[in-house]
Amino acid sequence: MSRVLYDEATRIYPGSTQPAVDALDLDIADGEFLVLVGPSGCGKSTSLRMLAGLERVDGGRIAIGDRDVTHLPPRDRDIAMVFQNYALYPHMSVADNMGFALRVMKVSKDERDRRVLEAARLLDLEEFLDRKPKALSGGQRQRVAMGRAIVREPQVFLMDEPLSNLDAKLRVQTRTQIADLQHRLGVTTVYVTHDQVEAMTMGDRVAVLKDGILQQVDTPLGLYQHPANVFVAGFIGSPSMNLGEYRVEGDEVVFGGARVRLTRETLKALKEEGSDRVILGFRPEDVTMVGDGDQDDATFLVTATVVEELGSDAFLYGQYADTTDPRLLEQTVIARVDPNAPPAKGDRVRLRIVPGKGRLFSASTGLCLPA
Amino acid sequence: MSTSTTGPDRTARTARRPVQAAPRGVPQSPLEESGRGTRWVVAIVVVVAMLWTLVPLLWMLLSSFKNSADVTAATPQFLFTPVLDNYRNLFTGANNLWPYIWHSVLAAGISAVLAVCLGALAGYGLARTQMRGKKHLAFWIISTRMAPIAAIVVPLFLIFRGLGLIDSIPGLVLAYLSFNLPFAIWLMSAFFAEVPPSLEESALVAGCTRWQAFRTVILPLTKSGLVTTFVLCLVFAWNDYAFAVVFSGPNSQTLPIAASQLVTQTGIDWGQLTAIGTIVVIPMMLAGLAVRRWLVTGLTLGAVTGE
Ligand SMILES: Nc1ncnc2c1ncn2[C@@H]1O[C@H](COP(=O)(O)OP(=O)(O)O)[C@@H](O)[C@H]1O
Ligand SMILES: [Mg+2]
Repeated sequence: MSRVLYDEATRIYPGSTQPAVDALDLDIADGEFLVLVGPSGCGKSTSLRMLAGLERVDGGRIAIGDRDVTHLPPRDRDIAMVFQNYALYPHMSVADNMGFALRVMKVSKDERDRRVLEAARLLDLEEFLDRKPKALSGGQRQRVAMGRAIVREPQVFLMDEPLSNLDAKLRVQTRTQIADLQHRLGVTTVYVTHDQVEAMTMGDRVAVLKDGILQQVDTPLGLYQHPANVFVAGFIGSPSMNLGEYRVEGDEVVFGGARVRLTRETLKALKEEGSDRVILGFRPEDVTMVGDGDQDDATFLVTATVVEELGSDAFLYGQYADTTDPRLLEQTVIARVDPNAPPAKGDRVRLRIVPGKGRLFSASTGLCLPA
Repeated sequence: MSTSTTGPDRTARTARRPVQAAPRGVPQSPLEESGRGTRWVVAIVVVVAMLWTLVPLLWMLLSSFKNSADVTAATPQFLFTPVLDNYRNLFTGANNLWPYIWHSVLAAGISAVLAVCLGALAGYGLARTQMRGKKHLAFWIISTRMAPIAAIVVPLFLIFRGLGLIDSIPGLVLAYLSFNLPFAIWLMSAFFAEVPPSLEESALVAGCTRWQAFRTVILPLTKSGLVTTFVLCLVFAWNDYAFAVVFSGPNSQTLPIAASQLVTQTGIDWGQLTAIGTIVVIPMMLAGLAVRRWLVTGLTLGAVTGE
């Protein structure tokens, strides 16, 4: 159990000019569950493999506990890794798979058997100990891979999309089990996924990567409420945040027939930037439907094209109705509406952003503007 | 089809990933889909091919048990009293067959073992390297196997003479390695490429050195590849005549040389010749049969990991 530190860690694959991981700075606390999330190809696996010692570190350094491990081979790092394809040894029984690392470390057979059995009990694998991996179901193989990591009692768990080969239902079950197990064992864990829901539900903190560059690290709620830039704002949350670039007129942002006043801090930042455009974002749940009587400058009209009723929730997908701007007409507005009285398809609804819930980003840098 | 892909395996596999195509190695017989006409054509081709291969072997086997009159009879004798004269003659006298057998076993055996050991190491490296031009390197290696023996006999002869390797078992072993090693490297690298790199990475993280990971995880998974490579290398070397006739002498002559010595200017002893032929062929057939299970899985590649 240890703290993990990435210090400007960089990886440039041979033959490539663009770093796959670019000066990654991450400080992961002892016992923390940190999730690395981002779209495919953003460098999540590479970051994890650098920590494992399976990928060279071309710049910066990586430390586990007090030890600088930047140039140590994987075997000297005291880590356990769960691979996306589980990487179970097909020629060994489940018990041998789980005890493999201990055998390599020359742990006595008694001790080994004890620890394997303990982990098997924890993961409900006792009856499969003598089987070969290929005689197991996908979920069981996944648990064996977890068991192999647990038996190690390592300083750090590394997991690279360990749930992506499971079907949707099992994935949801297993993700709670893994998070639960991690909290019980208290082992520092770095977990990679491309699924933001997985990231948000499992992580103590979530690090968002894009094109090899760290965008933001925060608690799930922090990311959700205070995205540092447009990318994070759009990536985190489902359905995703409504984002659009609009004109600023005077001290107001104008979109879809609505005029919303900007704060003095925002205006100051825009003035420094010398821009008269701004990216406005609002989450689907941060709008309210208003009756025709309550309309004012800050409300806008939307024509519902799809209404998704999920029982506990209902989402409206619509288009700005009160505009002729072709760019606005292309945009889809998503709004959460009352599931007990949802509008019908084709209805025109008047919406208002809940005061203080709009997010503003610079049109040039994409960074969050002060509100 | 190996016995390793039976019931539970297949259900587990399909249950896990329904989108995945049918498991590798399950034969989708083309015969099942084709019409009767095609079926007959295929059957005839198979029968002809079998006769083509088996009749000469059978003829040789039968002839080796005939006495000299029966062997040379103008009308083929199918019913005859089998005798062991030919074999007895081969193993008696000053120039008996034992040394030849021994030389063949040594030269072919050692060269096959070396080819497998070195080929596994080099093939693993070749399969895992990320270097540029890897494909060209792999092709260059196997292309040396394709070079006609005549092209390398002369330079090898000069080298061997300089090193005093003419008429020695080490000389023959080296000569056989010249064609077995590229073949072994190339074949083994195909087997290693089938093993997902995450398996050895998992072993490295578990505390293994590269060598330990290779030995405890990768090698056991490519057992069928090792056996296949060994048997094929053994057969190639065992059957060699061209190198042996140039490089060997009284201290190293192999079985094919012994056979050729029976073809003299005064005539051919067909009885003894077919007996030697049988002695050459039988061990290789037995070896093939003994490792058939591995050969089949080996030659179809794939399905190494059962992943
Ligand atoms: N072995 C490699 N050689 C060259 N480029 C690679 C290699 N592995 C990954 N990459 C590249 O590095 C980037 C990050 O890859 P990866 O870390 O696997 O992404 P992720 O796991 O987030 O999907 C991608 O653009 C990918 O193409
Ligand atoms: Mg990945």
